[in-house]
Amino acid sequence: MTRLAILAALLASLTTAAVRAADAPAEIKLGTLYASSGRFASISMPVHDGLKLWIDQKNADGGVYVKAFNKKIPLKLIAYDDQSNTATAATLYNQLITQDKVDVLIADSGSVLTSIAVPIARDHKMLLIDQTGTGANFFTPDNPYIALMADPVSSVWPKPLADFLTHDGPGLGIKRVAMLYATNDFTGTQANTVRKLIKESNSGVEIVFDEGVPTETSNYTVLLNNIRASNPDAVLHLGYASNDIAFLRNVQDSGIKFKFLFCIYPGVETELLEKNLGRKALDYVFTYVTSSGMAYKNEFGMSLKEYKDAWQKKYADSKVEFGFNSIAGYTTGLVLEKALSVATSLDQLELRKAIFSLSGNLKTLDGTFELDANGGQIGEFTPVGQFVPGEGDHLKLLTLWPHDLASGKPVYPRP
Amino acid sequence: MFTYSLLAGLLFGLYFSLIGLGLNLVFGVMRIVNLAHGDFLMLGAFLAFWLFTLFALNPVPAIAIAFLAFAIVGLPLYYLLVPRLLRAKDPEMLSFILFFGLSQVIEAVTTIAFGTSERSIPGDQLGHAVAVVAGFFAGHKVDTGPVELLGQTFPASWVASGVASGCAVLLVYLYLYRTRLGYLTRAVMDNREEAIATGINVHRVSAVAFGIGLGLAAAAGVFAPFMLGSITPAMGAEVTVTSFAVIVIGSLGNPLGTVLGGIVYGISYVFMQSYYSSWANLLPYVLLIAILLVRPSGLLGRRVRRA
Repeated sequence: MTRLAILAALLASLTTAAVRAADAPAEIKLGTLYASSGRFASISMPVHDGLKLWIDQKNADGGVYVKAFNKKIPLKLIAYDDQSNTATAATLYNQLITQDKVDVLIADSGSVLTSIAVPIARDHKMLLIDQTGTGANFFTPDNPYIALMADPVSSVWPKPLADFLTHDGPGLGIKRVAMLYATNDFTGTQANTVRKLIKESNSGVEIVFDEGVPTETSNYTVLLNNIRASNPDAVLHLGYASNDIAFLRNVQDSGIKFKFLFCIYPGVETELLEKNLGRKALDYVFTYVTSSGMAYKNEFGMSLKEYKDAWQKKYADSKVEFGFNSIAGYTTGLVLEKALSVATSLDQLELRKAIFSLSGNLKTLDGTFELDANGGQIGEFTPVGQFVPGEGDHLKLLTLWPHDLASGKPVYPRP
Repeated sequence: MFTYSLLAGLLFGLYFSLIGLGLNLVFGVMRIVNLAHGDFLMLGAFLAFWLFTLFALNPVPAIAIAFLAFAIVGLPLYYLLVPRLLRAKDPEMLSFILFFGLSQVIEAVTTIAFGTSERSIPGDQLGHAVAVVAGFFAGHKVDTGPVELLGQTFPASWVASGVASGCAVLLVYLYLYRTRLGYLTRAVMDNREEAIATGINVHRVSAVAFGIGLGLAAAAGVFAPFMLGSITPAMGAEVTVTSFAVIVIGSLGNPLGTVLGGIVYGISYVFMQSYYSSWANLLPYVLLIAILLVRPSGLLGRRVRRA
């Protein structure tokens, strides 16, 4: 009798699996946008290329394992070019959902082009796979349709920076901080956090210059003169890659020496900035230490070196530089792969549940994947570092904060 | 801060005069709006970038190369596009569509060719050129760093672009007022039909003006990596909008009015950046609306119509 029951159960499960496999779609449709031109192209294309690399690898291997159908299914990427235009992006996100009926909706890179997708995804009850849109206001308790994959929330980014300034700063002689930021979700949120944390620290550090500029700003010469007039001990510039390039080049050209200079992108897109500014412009610049500068021990997917080699092989024309954003696209793919391997259906809330089940348990090239209750990424974080001249003509990135990760001491004032 | 902003605005404005000069010359002669103007500037910037990257060529000779190369390209491009456009019922309006399309094509092709990333030329390259010239006049070696101007310090590239803009304006002035072709150009600007009636080869005059317009855009592009931070294939549209604002402020159709437009724009922008930095990028649009409401013909408008 027992044998018969076991045999019946086995047959039933085999039949169910066979039925599920028979119902399986021929492909899993991933819908996304990218910006091949316009202001956000340089942060969008690396992310998109990273995602494509993951898709190509998986398809070469027969697809990804989808637990809901108990089989490997090839991935089909449906990608449209939004040209960095938010109006175009809105139309295309709608098209992906309503016309192409994608199984998984993936946002374009960066907060500006993601911000458009957040309400659209929510209205259509589609889970938004947010790659690098970090605006803190995207993640609210009343919106279950978003999860941030490969980039900490903007309010998490600057915490190590503020901690470094308020803990180590006074000892170094940093009391007066000037902050210039681009007024968008990504850097605006960071500026708000830095301001708040410095104010709350009661460390004696004060902000003596605090100005926002449009993200489109391309010349900082006059602003630099105004910052100099405020006599700061430390200058923080929070902007996108193009802002940092213009800012650092204006610092160099104007001959103004700041004792402490912090920018976001030297540590995020090091190759791009070095190519544009030359090594000397980055000497002794403080920045975030991201996954491209710190090899996190990952438990899933390629190692940093293997991934970089694969990237350089696939994109040998070097039109898109390797950096943090290229890792972010690949990381998005890895998290999706894991989620599909545990989700019991392709229902959007089931996908969300599967992604949340990975929270705190998955180590990727970006560090620990961990989400807060609203879908914001809080596991990955951005230590503070400083570029110093390395061997030969190379730059070396020292990690300074937190102290348990430190690989050197800060050089202050900047020579 | 006030003096610095004023001088910086003047230098910055001179650069925008150079940017707008070619656009206004083309509009003045042909009454067409070249919405691909910023894209030709971008191509000039990429030309300078590649000349520097491949041959280590300083941007100063690249200015002449860019000007000549694009002036030459402008001649056949004129005959390909403009005569047909001018035969249309409303060439001014059609030019918007045609050159918008051209702008998109240029941006797309450049993106395919060079990628989307930012590109730059090292900032000290123009500093070297300024130091050589300053050293020649001073009689001794001059440092390549920033330049002191009326007690204020500016990047050498700002001074270099200001000087180049001044030279370009002077050359355009000499061309328009001291050469035979220039006289003919002004005649066409004043009244195209009368110019045709008097036997002027309007297409030849216009083709040269179109070539000069593109050449000036490309020459302005050489300074773009220094004045606009970096260059990308996508930069053209924004530059076109700004230069359009500059020429409307100065006066549509009056190339020399562009100088005034550029300076007004530059000084306003820099003061805005100094005192209300978050709002600085609204300025071109605000100025554009204000001028169209208060003085639709631009600050030097009357002179244009009666030139």
